[in-house]
This record gives sequence, C-alpha cells and structure tokens, in this order.
Amino acid sequence: MTGTEERLRMTGIVKRFPGTVALDGVELSVRPGEVHCLLGENGAGKSTLMKILAGSYQPEEGTILLDGQPFRPATPHAGQAAGIAVIYQELDLLPDLTVAQNLLLGRAPRLGPFVRRGQRARLAREALDRVGASFPVTTRVGELPIAAQQLTAIAKALTADARVIVMDEPSATLGESELLAVFEVIRSLTAEGRSVIFISHRMDEVMEIGDRATVLRDGRTAGVYDLASTGPDEIVAAMIGEASELVGATDRPAPGGEPLLRVERVHVPGLLDVRDLEVRPGEVVGLAGLGGAGRTTLLRALFGDLKAQVTARLDGRPLKVAGPAAAVRAGLALVPESRKEQGLMLGLSVSRNAAIGALGRPPWLLPGRLGRRLARPALADLGVKTAGLDQLVGQLSGGNQQKIVLAKWITRGGIKVLLLDEPTRGLDVGAKADLYRQVRHLADQGVAVLLASSELNELTANADHIQVLYEGRNVARFDPRTSPESVIAHTVITGATA
Amino acid sequence: MTTSLGSTVASTTGKERGGRSRRGADLIVKSNLLLVFLALCVVASLLAPQFLTGRNIANLLQQSSLTGIVAIGMTMVVLTAGIDLSVGSVAAFGGMTVALLMAPGMPVLPAILLSLAIGAAFGAVMGGLSAYLSLPSFMTTLAGLTAIRGLTYLLTDGKPAQAGESEVFQLLGGGFVGYVPIVGIIFVVVTLLAAGVLRGTTFGEYVYAVGSNKEAARLSGLPVRGVITTVFAVSGGLAALAGVLLTSRLTVGQPTAFSGLELDAIAAVVLGGTNLFGGRGGVFGTFVAVLLLSVLRNLCNLLGLGSFFQMVVTGLILLVALVLNMLIERRGARA
Repeated sequence: MTGTEERLRMTGIVKRFPGTVALDGVELSVRPGEVHCLLGENGAGKSTLMKILAGSYQPEEGTILLDGQPFRPATPHAGQAAGIAVIYQELDLLPDLTVAQNLLLGRAPRLGPFVRRGQRARLAREALDRVGASFPVTTRVGELPIAAQQLTAIAKALTADARVIVMDEPSATLGESELLAVFEVIRSLTAEGRSVIFISHRMDEVMEIGDRATVLRDGRTAGVYDLASTGPDEIVAAMIGEASELVGATDRPAPGGEPLLRVERVHVPGLLDVRDLEVRPGEVVGLAGLGGAGRTTLLRALFGDLKAQVTARLDGRPLKVAGPAAAVRAGLALVPESRKEQGLMLGLSVSRNAAIGALGRPPWLLPGRLGRRLARPALADLGVKTAGLDQLVGQLSGGNQQKIVLAKWITRGGIKVLLLDEPTRGLDVGAKADLYRQVRHLADQGVAVLLASSELNELTANADHIQVLYEGRNVARFDPRTSPESVIAHTVITGATA
Repeated sequence: MTTSLGSTVASTTGKERGGRSRRGADLIVKSNLLLVFLALCVVASLLAPQFLTGRNIANLLQQSSLTGIVAIGMTMVVLTAGIDLSVGSVAAFGGMTVALLMAPGMPVLPAILLSLAIGAAFGAVMGGLSAYLSLPSFMTTLAGLTAIRGLTYLLTDGKPAQAGESEVFQLLGGGFVGYVPIVGIIFVVVTLLAAGVLRGTTFGEYVYAVGSNKEAARLSGLPVRGVITTVFAVSGGLAALAGVLLTSRLTVGQPTAFSGLELDAIAAVVLGGTNLFGGRGGVFGTFVAVLLLSVLRNLCNLLGLGSFFQMVVTGLILLVALVLNMLIERRGARA
C-alpha cells in the first residue's frame, strides 16, 4: 500500500475502428488505494480504454502492467479473473432474475448440482450491506428503481475479489443521497487498498471523490492532474482543448407573441395532473423536478405515447393526438429519454436514421437517395462527426448519436414543438453545450421547446422560464434571470415555494 | 445491384451503394454465399454429368420456385423481426380455393386473384393480431398453422379437389418458355419486385427500421403496426400464390400439400443471411439460398443418395453456413 508503486499501468495503447482511431497511444497509471478519475469528452476514448482493460476489446498496440505483471486479458472473463471489475453505464444485470441470483451469477455456492440458496442469500445480503442497500435480495432486479439497480451492480462487482474497480458514470442515474452512499463505498474500497477508476462528467463529484485524474482528448492522454492542487477550470480546459462555448446563461430577451402550445390540462390518473402551461414560438420552457415527478410522463402524454386526457391547443387549433404518428403529423417531435432504446436504430446507417422520419411523402420511392440528400445538410448543420453517411449509428459517440436523433426531426421539417427528455444524459461538457446550441438555433427559427432535465444548471442556463413539477403537478414557474438556482432547487425538492 | 448476395454483413452495408472504402474486400465477404453456390454447381457438374443438362436445370427451377416464392414473403416478415409459421397451411388453402372456385366455372383470373386475396387476408389477420395486440407472431401464426390447415381439410372433408380443365391455368404451373419453367419466371419476378419494394420505396425503408428498433420507429412517427400487418399480408398472399401454382401443375388441389413448408422457407431466409432478429438482410440472399438448397437436393438425387441422407446433408449445410456467416460477421465487426 505504499503510494509510489503502481497498481496499473497502460502504455501506448492504440485501438482502431473502421474509419477512426479511437485510441492513439494512451497512457494511464493508477496507484493502489487511489480513486483515479478518467475524464474526457464523449468520443475521447474513455469507454474504449476501459473495455480494453476489461478484456472486451483487444488493442492493436500497447502494454498493460497489472501490479507489475504483463497483463493482456483476451476475454472479459479473463479480466474478471485477474481482478478487474467494471460497472458499465448500461447495467449488465438480468432483469428477470432476483438480486441474489444476479449477484452470484455463475458463482453461486453449490452442493453437487444444487444451489445452496440459503448461503447464496446470505452472501448476497452481505454484499448489499457493504454498499448500504437495504432492499431484500429476493426482489427481481427489473422491479427495482434504477438507483437500486446501480447499487446492485456495484455490489456485484464487489462479490468478485477486485483489485481495480471501474465505475462508468455511476452518478448518471443516482440521486444525491444514493450518490453519497456510493462515495462511502468507494472510500471503504480504497481504504482496503483497492483502486477505483471513476468516470464522470460532473466536475463537483470528481473534485470531491478523486485523488488524481487523467484527461483523454481525441484518443490521447491530454494530461494527468493531482486533484488536490488543480482547479476544475483547468481540467475542463484540458478536456475541451481550445476554448469553446460552455453552457452559458441565456442572454437574449424572452420571446413574446402568442403561445404556440397552450396546455390547459394533461391528466393521467394517479400520475400526472399538469395545468396551464404555455410555450411561445422561439421559447425554451424548462421542466424541472425530481425523478418520478412527471417530466417524462408529461412529454409522453403530449406525444400520444401513453393514455392521457390532454386538453391543449397547438397553433390555435385543438390538439388531438391518438399516437406518436398523429403527434408527428401535428408538428410535435420527441427526443426520448433513452436514445439507444427509443431514439435510434443502432444497426442501421447514419443517413437511414437521420432521414427515417422524412420519407413518408409522395412518391414514396428511392428512400436511400432522398435520405442522403436530406441527411447531408442536416448533419453538417449539426456538426455530426461520422466516418460517413454509411457508418452504423451504433458506432458513434453519445453526443453524435443524440444529434442524429435531432437530425431525424430536422430532416422531416415542419416541427412546431420540440419535446426534449433528458437530452444531455451521458454527454460531456462540450457535447452538452453543442447540443443546446442546436436546440436554441431551432428555437430561433420559431420552434417551441419543452426541455425536461434533472440538471438544474442546464435549465437555468438554457430555458426562458422553468416550470417545476412535483408529484405530478406543476407547482411553480420561475424566471431563471431573476430567481437564483438555490430557490428553484428548494422548490424542486420540497414542492413549496420559499 | 449484385453487391449484396449473401451474408448478413453483406446486406447491412450492401444496401448503401456509396461505401467506397475496401470495396473489393467487401465484395468477397458479401458474395460468399454466391461463391459457395457457384462452387457447388461446379462440383455438381463434375460429379454428375447430367447436372448441367437443360432438362435437369429446368426441373430444378420448377421444384425450387414454389418454396422460393414463399421464402421471399418470409424474408420480408423476418426483416421486421417477425416469423410466419402459417405459410404451409395458407398455401394449401390457396391451392384448394382456386380449385374449388374454378371447378364450377369461375374464370381463371378472378379465381386466382380471389385465392391470393384470401391468403393475404389470412396473413393480415395474423400479422394484425400480432401488431395491434403485441402478441408474438410466432404464436399467432402457430395458431394459424393449425387452424388454417383444419379449414383446408374442412373445405372438402379432406379430399383432393379437381381444378377444371382450363389449359391456360395448367400452363401457369406446368408450362415452359423454352427450357425455362413459367414458375421459375414468376419466382424471379417476385424476387425482383420484392427487392424493388425493399430498396426503392419508403415502405421498404420502414420494414428495415421496424425490424431494427420497433420502439424507435414508433417514436419516429412511423406506422409500425401497418408495416407489420402488411408484411404478413404479403407473406400470406405469396403463400397462396405458391398453392395456386401447385394446383395448376397437378390440376388438383391437395389439402395435404405443403406441410413443413414454413421450415424450408425459414431455412432459406436464414441461410440467405437475413437476421432472425430483424433489420438486416434482403431477398437476393434468400434467392440464392433457395437455389443452393435445391441444387444440393438435386445433386443427392443424381448421385442416387436417398432422401434420409439428403435431410442430414441439408441440415449440416445449414449449420455450416450459419457458423460461417457468424464468423465473417464477427470479423467484419472487428476489422
């Protein structure tokens, strides 16, 4: 546990994918008992590097030393056996099995061919206790809230005796109190001499939990920083390279004019009862609220994706949406919460994804040619980085994928109201700013935008006004120019206006 | 348009004709099934000199075309991540209805069109149930397989039905243009039409989108349910067409015909490189696979190998092809 020796050293790692070089000589060095933050914009190569460490990918060049020994895991199994535990952003849990079954999957205590259920439950309980989780081990994972699933995934990584634990954005789905619990776990792990590689986009978390940080940029190591003596600004600057516009305050006057979307009431019994919400052309209305406050439900109801009583007028006419197809015809566009499951066809090409919504017009022929013609300018405007129109969307970084979801609506044209549900989830600082720039650009063309986000600072920076949802109702309306973030946050948490 | 015969890798990239990089290498990977097919033909003609005679080739086309027509419809269903187990029963029903309609004197064309419409309606009902009630198409078409076969027997209490004496009708299923059987021409035309629809129309683009990610397609405002219902209707209509053609060749409708057809069709679809989970593949792969399986069977016949042996060989070939496709795809993903 002497701080000078190295737990892990990755040197000169090179990994190429068709059309791109994902990693171009990356260096990473992690000490025992250290929380080492791995930072970088989307597409910088963090996930690829971690997949190489875990054994999911094979690097073309480079060496890895684990506790001084050469290490080259050929499979994820070999990585695990050597003590590398990775908790991925997309949780690799089996939703139909119980917590105990998941925690000891493939390692269940046995007596001959039989599983010793009692012992398995006890071991699972111990693992859950270590991460401070109190839910029963007999619960099916799919029935747990997402934060509890995250804790289960961490507990699972701990049931293997891990030397290096990689956490890929554990905070993306966690609330404040759960995050504190996870930090506790991380501290107890490092106290035992284990190393934690922590990937996050939130600088405050990084500053709080991290000892050192390695910043990746464009597949190279841009710098290694001692977090005790480095400020967040310096690190953010290293992440984005040359200065680019950060998420900044809205510096334009609130748009006037008649509301484009006038919601009298949206009612989903037992879940949602939102009244009197208006969005003007060019206006960005933010929806703030805790998880489960009804932001997603409201957007889905407006888009006709769930049964709801909607009394609303769009452009002066009553809005009737029988389903998503009708909503799209009426001029609504949704950027859904989960871009991989709901937004994109990952196995199809960039141009096919970008143009899929725009093809439903006479003469209904030659969709490939039409799609390319429509996609090319839209993708160029949005600044999407791809190896070409034929690249599969699944190979793009998160920020570029989200832009393709936007492109889908831009190519279609005729959008009046844009509904955004957590559009920046999992995106880094630069990609976030870029995405909001595109959203504001659409708003400037007269589109009314409803923006749901759990990142209050993004709402205050980008919304013209903010509606706070609390337990399914819109309880307050704030102007971010005059209301401090702390006041809005108070209402978000308590439902009461100070 | 010949770039995407074969493997799954093929069809994902093959549809975009602009992929310029590594084109030559891609071509070989893409057309691996075609190469196997050609190799098999060479082997066949060396082993059995009768193989390359016009008569044998004509025979071969005649035998494979009916399965082929059904496999084309199946390909469209599988591209949407569905499956149609009812094609054998629908084909038998179509063959019976056309005979029963023509026996009392209905003219050929209306009788055929009515039979196809009934087949399409069967497909639309099963596909619609699957699409609108979110039932697995495996189950709705399994129910259809049993029920429609039962209906077919009920039509004549299980007896064959005479199709009347129309020569035009008999020509359709049994006639030749030179050495080329008319059913073979129909098979080719159906394949080309299906390829045109899949590659050249918005509907085709929707088929791939629905198969690739149904949820994303729905939230993009696509008529997902309509697309699914339609592909099943197409599959049902094409199955009925196969039934009509068989009745035409035999001049009687056989209620017992086409049992197990669904498995032959699915085998050809999968061998042709269409992904069973939807979104990837195409009809040209299926076309070549149908011919390949048929040549294999033909070769066994020419060599005097019994049908038991043929079944074993066909199964093994299917297995080998799947493993090869998987390996090529994996290499493609890593390259």
